[in-house]
Amino acid sequence: MAASSGVPAAGAQGGDADPVEHFQYSMLMEHLIGDRRPIKDLNPAVMAGLPVPYKSDEHKMIERAMESCTFKGVLACVGGFVLGGAFGVFTAGIDTNVGFDPKDPMKTPTAREVLKDMGQRGMSYAKNFAIVGAMFSCTECVIESYRGQTDWKNAVYSGCVTGGAIGLRAGLKAGVLGCGGFAAFSAAIEYYLR
Amino acid sequence: MDPIKAQQLAAELEVEMMSDMYNRMTNACHRKCVPPHYHEADLTKGESVCLDRCVAKYLDLHEKLGRKLTELSVQDEEVMRKAAIGSG
Repeated sequence: MAASSGVPAAGAQGGDADPVEHFQYSMLMEHLIGDRRPIKDLNPAVMAGLPVPYKSDEHKMIERAMESCTFKGVLACVGGFVLGGAFGVFTAGIDTNVGFDPKDPMKTPTAREVLKDMGQRGMSYAKNFAIVGAMFSCTECVIESYRGQTDWKNAVYSGCVTGGAIGLRAGLKAGVLGCGGFAAFSAAIEYYLR
Repeated sequence: MDPIKAQQLAAELEVEMMSDMYNRMTNACHRKCVPPHYHEADLTKGESVCLDRCVAKYLDLHEKLGRKLTELSVQDEEVMRKAAIGSG
């Protein structure tokens, strides 16, 4: 690139005024990068990349919504609800105490009572799983957005946050224990998955 | 120097400058934001967030350094002009 040294223009005029037209780097820069640059749409095809069709505004909006942390949290919540319900009903099926009536321990529970009990247990597991899943997914997404990296540490940190939040309702020590336990569990799952 | 001439020269140089900048930016941001673990084809959340930030910083830097360079070259030209007037 030309330095800011004098370069005589072709056809320099005579006279006692400055006959040499200096090459002004600063003026060139103004037109290239500074305030007087032309407004162009930056298309990768223009800048020697591969030509890519533009994404429409709706496409971009939908993509942004699908990749957002709230959507992932909602997805995990719904998934956790379904999984928790199935898990609860399954454990109720192999539990001998379902339908147990504490007022009359010898009575065999009717099918309706057993089913109601199974439904309640399934619902309670479902709600727990949904809340835990939503919290974990949301915190992991937020932590990943903050760090800007995708690795196993995101799951460990968010496991600690989730476990800690759940455990803190029962005191500080339970919170710390919950943090450590859930973080270790998340680390094991991440290790297995990667 | 004629602004029109500067504009024409800038138009010629701009294509090359833009393509060079784009290539360097792509290489730099790819090196910094996308670790070579290709488990899946889509960009993950962390990587796309990192790329957004990388491009924004790169363009910001490009503009700021360009302005600084323009400033310095203006000072340079002042000095040269005074020297030319002094000697002429």
